[in-house]
Amino acid sequence: MSTLLQEIEAQISGLKTGVTRQNVGTVREIGDGVAKIEGLSGAMLNEMLDFGDGIVGLALNLEETEVGAIILGEYTAVKEGQEVRTTGKLLQVPVGKALLGRVVNALGVPLDGKGPISTETFYPVEKIAPGIIKRKSVTQPVQTGIMAVDAMIPIGRGQRELIIGDRSTGKTTIGVDTIISQARLNRAAEAAKDASHRPLYCIYVAIGQKQSNVARVVAVLEEAGAMPYTIIVDACASDSATNQYLAPFSGCAMGEWFMDNAMDALIIYDDLSKHAVAYRQVSLVLKRPSGREAYPGDVFYLHSRLLERSARVSEKYGNGSLTGLPIIETQAGDVSAYIPTNVISITDGQIYLETDLFYQGIRPAISVGLSVSRVGSAAQNKAMKQVAGRVKLELAQFRELAAFAQFGSDLDAKTQAQLERGKRIVEVFKQPQYHPMPVEVQAAVLWTVQNSLMDDVPVDKIKDFQGKLTEYLTMRKTALMDKIRAEKAFSDALAGELKGAVTEFKQTYR
Amino acid sequence: MKISKQARRDARELFRTCMVREALDEGRARQAVAAVAQIKPRGYIAILSHFQRLIRLEVARRTATIESATALPPQEQGQIQSDLTRQYGPGLAFIFTQNPALIGGVRIQVGGDVYNGTVQGRLAALQQGA
Repeated sequence: MSTLLQEIEAQISGLKTGVTRQNVGTVREIGDGVAKIEGLSGAMLNEMLDFGDGIVGLALNLEETEVGAIILGEYTAVKEGQEVRTTGKLLQVPVGKALLGRVVNALGVPLDGKGPISTETFYPVEKIAPGIIKRKSVTQPVQTGIMAVDAMIPIGRGQRELIIGDRSTGKTTIGVDTIISQARLNRAAEAAKDASHRPLYCIYVAIGQKQSNVARVVAVLEEAGAMPYTIIVDACASDSATNQYLAPFSGCAMGEWFMDNAMDALIIYDDLSKHAVAYRQVSLVLKRPSGREAYPGDVFYLHSRLLERSARVSEKYGNGSLTGLPIIETQAGDVSAYIPTNVISITDGQIYLETDLFYQGIRPAISVGLSVSRVGSAAQNKAMKQVAGRVKLELAQFRELAAFAQFGSDLDAKTQAQLERGKRIVEVFKQPQYHPMPVEVQAAVLWTVQNSLMDDVPVDKIKDFQGKLTEYLTMRKTALMDKIRAEKAFSDALAGELKGAVTEFKQTYR
Repeated sequence: MKISKQARRDARELFRTCMVREALDEGRARQAVAAVAQIKPRGYIAILSHFQRLIRLEVARRTATIESATALPPQEQGQIQSDLTRQYGPGLAFIFTQNPALIGGVRIQVGGDVYNGTVQGRLAALQQGA
């Protein structure tokens, strides 16, 4: 009874609060998810507006006599003349570890039918990126598990690495492989109770993707056991342009929470070309002036402010990081189009995927000449650096020589050797999708190639040799693999031991 | 009706000429409308339509609507008027209306600002909280 009395008392005291002041306006025009509202003299930019009945809008255009707002969610119930109120709040999404393993929409509402998300922390969708004082250089690696990437285009925690290529060249696969690799590393560290391991949580933001594609990604991640470390933000092709525009910012806010709380996170924006298209649609309906290819003038700022939020912060501010892997889809390999050049200039490097390589069977179809990582080498594993240092150059030379060699057969011994080595490196870098490789295995395999131990294996047998060698090393030489992983560099003793192991394997290999 | 950018610009210019010390001069506004109607410049209907909208918004901005469940005594009306004038400056038009649906208290609207001190407003807040 006493609780009831206290409750009533609390309600009454709540009622006693003075006169409420609100800023109201009326809907003048509504269409395509965009409302023009008269009044609302006190509205702020990016403020949430209350349309009543749970409908929320976002003020994007503050004009002389009216406010242009985008409606989040169902807008058909909004009528002309309807009253709209300011809320004094910026758009927020739920953040925290409770979101791991969940599929949510751009507003953080669960879509997976696993019940509500219990979190009390909310982050604003739009936030200023960390400044120069808070930042630190990239020093820790992100192990993607893709040998070609980890060896030649290493990615560091806090880096922004663009994945760019035509349709169906394996862009999403690189992202998904990276997520699976992180999950494996996290699980292994948990099993070994390794306190020094910093888990990397992943956020996959699907923008304008087909529902079937998103469902497939979710299924692959579930099968690989990666969902407990992953958040999926879904704004699919059937979602409104508004939600597609907001989704990457929501995902970024979720990632920032990990960064702010001294943890590491990785975010994949799949893809920013569709994000730019959604933003163009919103801008055109809002009657903002259009520029090149009808994109609004601030489309560069749209992506730069999003990607600037990926950062590595210093120890004083928690030592967390947010790594960004934006994806851009090109048309017929044209990297000089408007949006691709914008994003290339913002990011710290790009992984360029080529259709020709893909259809030649070289998968992942990474073009070595056009791909670059501007800061990642500082974070690369030392063992990997020792063995992969010359690989990129050798591969580039091989491509040039291969083009030259097809016109004649009289080649000197040195050129022949270079060609043979190149063919083997290309074969070694081929990797099936959703099968990320541990870094110590990558280093051991590359060491074997670089030390001419694969030169006597026929090119068409390289994949078979590599598979069996990997199996041999992981099953029979566990101690050696553990040593490579722990020491993170090839000492003379370790190299001798590895040479002995590979020679021993070669004697049994058929 | 589609109002062109030029017509909007002209209407805004016309509207500015009708403002005296940040307040709308009704005489000037009437004169302006008559002059435009007489000269009939290009797109004059659109200009006058947008001019009317600007005037409507300005009038709404400078009008204080005070709603109460029962008629307010003159002393209280005077108090509200002086308080609002102190906050929003001179030149406000006051409209006092009665609305029994409010049950009790006063609701004041000046432009887009709404001060709700009514029982109805509190009940609505309670309902929302529940």
